[in-house]
Amino acid sequence: MTTAKLEQTQFLKYSGTVGMTTMRGRGFYYPMDAAMSRDGRIYVVSRSSERAPADTLRVTVLNAEGEYFGVFGAKGDGDGEFLWPCGVATDAEDRVYVSDEQLHRIMIFTASGEFVSKWGIRGGGEGELNGPSGIVFDSDNNILVSDTWNHRIQRFTKDGTFLSAFGTSGDGKGEFDLPWGLATNADGEIFVADWGNDRVQRFSPDGQFVAQYGGTGRENGQFVRPAGVAVDADGYIYVADWGNERVQIFNSEGLFVQKLRGEATNSTWAEDFLRVNVEEAEARMRANLEPEIEFFNDDPHEESSHIEKLFWGPISVFLDDAGRLYVTEENRHRIQVFERAS
Amino acid sequence: MANSTLQLLAHLMRRAGFGATREELETYARDGYEATVARLLDTSNPISMPEYLIRRFHPDESSMLLGGSGKDAWLYRMTTTSAPLLEKMTLFWHGIFATGYPKVINAKPLSDQIRMFRRYAMGSLSTLLLELSKDPAMIIWLDNQQNHKEAINENFGRELLELFSMGVGNYTEDDVKECARAFTGWTIGNREYMELRSNRDSDWPYGRISWHFEFRPEDHDDGEKVFLGQTGKFNGDDVIDIICQQEATARFISRHMYHFFVADEPPVPQWPYQPPRDPEAINVLSQAYFDNDYDIRSMLRVLFNSDFFKSESCWYQKVKSPSELVTGVLRLTETMDRPRYDTIEKRMRMEFMGQTLSNPPSVEGWDGGLAWIDTGALVERMNFATEELGDTGTPGSQALMRLLTADNGAVLAPDRLVDLCLDHLGAISVHEDTRSRLVEYAAEEGDIHFEGHDVSEDVKRRIAGVVQLIAASPEFQRA
Repeated sequence: MTTAKLEQTQFLKYSGTVGMTTMRGRGFYYPMDAAMSRDGRIYVVSRSSERAPADTLRVTVLNAEGEYFGVFGAKGDGDGEFLWPCGVATDAEDRVYVSDEQLHRIMIFTASGEFVSKWGIRGGGEGELNGPSGIVFDSDNNILVSDTWNHRIQRFTKDGTFLSAFGTSGDGKGEFDLPWGLATNADGEIFVADWGNDRVQRFSPDGQFVAQYGGTGRENGQFVRPAGVAVDADGYIYVADWGNERVQIFNSEGLFVQKLRGEATNSTWAEDFLRVNVEEAEARMRANLEPEIEFFNDDPHEESSHIEKLFWGPISVFLDDAGRLYVTEENRHRIQVFERAS
Repeated sequence: MANSTLQLLAHLMRRAGFGATREELETYARDGYEATVARLLDTSNPISMPEYLIRRFHPDESSMLLGGSGKDAWLYRMTTTSAPLLEKMTLFWHGIFATGYPKVINAKPLSDQIRMFRRYAMGSLSTLLLELSKDPAMIIWLDNQQNHKEAINENFGRELLELFSMGVGNYTEDDVKECARAFTGWTIGNREYMELRSNRDSDWPYGRISWHFEFRPEDHDDGEKVFLGQTGKFNGDDVIDIICQQEATARFISRHMYHFFVADEPPVPQWPYQPPRDPEAINVLSQAYFDNDYDIRSMLRVLFNSDFFKSESCWYQKVKSPSELVTGVLRLTETMDRPRYDTIEKRMRMEFMGQTLSNPPSVEGWDGGLAWIDTGALVERMNFATEELGDTGTPGSQALMRLLTADNGAVLAPDRLVDLCLDHLGAISVHEDTRSRLVEYAAEEGDIHFEGHDVSEDVKRRIAGVVQLIAASPEFQRA
């Protein structure tokens, strides 16, 4: 592994929070991924729970200022419906693509949420899928898919024609264990959150291994089950270090720059809720939301479950054109936003 | 067919675990009975489906917004664990320290409580009772957040004595009050906000917040108390020490253990009026309790190696609880090899049979025994077992097919088929009447003829039919 352990620098600073928990409508319910289209609309895919009502599975559309544009999708296996929605991406025409790990398919919607088409067949053969999760578009407007249970990355045209694949099951270079989040950089290189191997792997545009970052652990530069990855125009690499309940930032060479643990404040939607639920708001004001607690193990999952402002399930990261980082948290049902410190 | 050693091991695994296949039993037989008991008691490094993997595919098993949250993860663990006794003991304590969702209304503390049981299930009773007294879900369940220095609430203090340690008739009403005084100031952090959220079932704005124990010294009565004949400025820790010294506590826990692992006792409210079914067994277990500093693991070692546990007279006498039945069936099918979308449907079947984990019918938990069986529950139990085990596509079923084709060449007689199926499903020994009916059914279409190792769909159907009948038999439904 090439990751060096450096002093933490103040690279990003907290900017704000968007979203909140709701079963339906304006809000998120176990968001698994989020993506921003060219016009600044954010599409957040809520997986919900197998036991929850149909309309709790949805894509919520909003912008960074918390303006709400509506929802689309529902539970089911029909057109425009999901069972285990996982990844979301937008193409150059601002169409919205959603992967489904249970239905083994990709669904396509217009920017306003009308169902367009779907593709994907379950299997292990070329072009077949077994649990598609992370999805991202390359510079040619083709789609890369983390084919999770086949432990490989596949590339398709946006209408589902198979183009190429790389990777197989294992922990060697170019091998994967349940790959998840994907990103590409300006040179077309591909970054894969190699979830089960606790690393991020970097590949050339045609899928040749270039480098790997991470390794199992809780130290700077190490990961526990990384779920998401993003790369900015300067080559900085942002990793949703899911099992460590943090985000780590690396420079273009993979050297550690900063880690973020989360510092959420009330979003505008949260403020709206508290404004009309006065009793709850007042009790919340009187509560100590950052209590000191002795935990029985060193898993930050416990700390995050008690301290609301911290990341809990940072599952996906993306950047906007201004270089702001958006961190989606599945267990806190919100997005924390960070910006460059200088 | 299964010899007596294998059948004894099968009995052990049904009671101390969730059953075992013939293949597993043969492995245990090579080590011997006592070594197998020792293996069950060694819970230092249990291996099961990793929590990360469960959370990866079931996010609701992570932050738990819903009432049923956390239970699928427990089913995965029970079904895949290498330390089944630890899960049985977790169920055991859950049944005694029964805490339910309708009052707590936050699945995370309930799930945290189950994890606490798992951590302390087989250690010292005194440690377990202390952790229980600090457990946030228990504090809310029994109102100890309302137990104040100036105005005690006796609920937790009373149940600690009545249901969790000694049983009715072994303490006075004054002891209850003194016990409650000792636990004043034992509450949860941010009590007002957390209670309000719970009362409103609020997960806004950012999901559930876990609860934590908080001791408020200003609300604690540190005055002198007289408790079970001892005098001092007792706090909760001291009270638990005194409780654990009591003969009544040893006998109460021993009787629960006997009821759970050996043979049915009447419901707890009848214990003051009905002597134990086997008083000598209770004496033996109580002695193990005192000889080993209240150590639960040591009591279990004595229990599983005792003649009263090994006795054939208690084999197949206990009705499997729904959680035991569902887990046992799923371990046989081997279908929980990775997180599955339909896990909730299998877990819900447990609830249709009458057991909703983390939602017991009362503070006294589940009665168990024959109370698990009513007309609806019995049909549900038989349907579940026959549907799951009758699915010829599962890894467990395919293992049976391999066993059958490897056994006897081209022809398999009906009685041999029945015996092999009984063996595969856990060296089950059935009553002669049951066996006759199984053989009669298997013989309806004559011998089974194999062509090499291939099993035709028609043969699979016939084998599945036998397996389904076994799954519906009284012996399979019991442990």
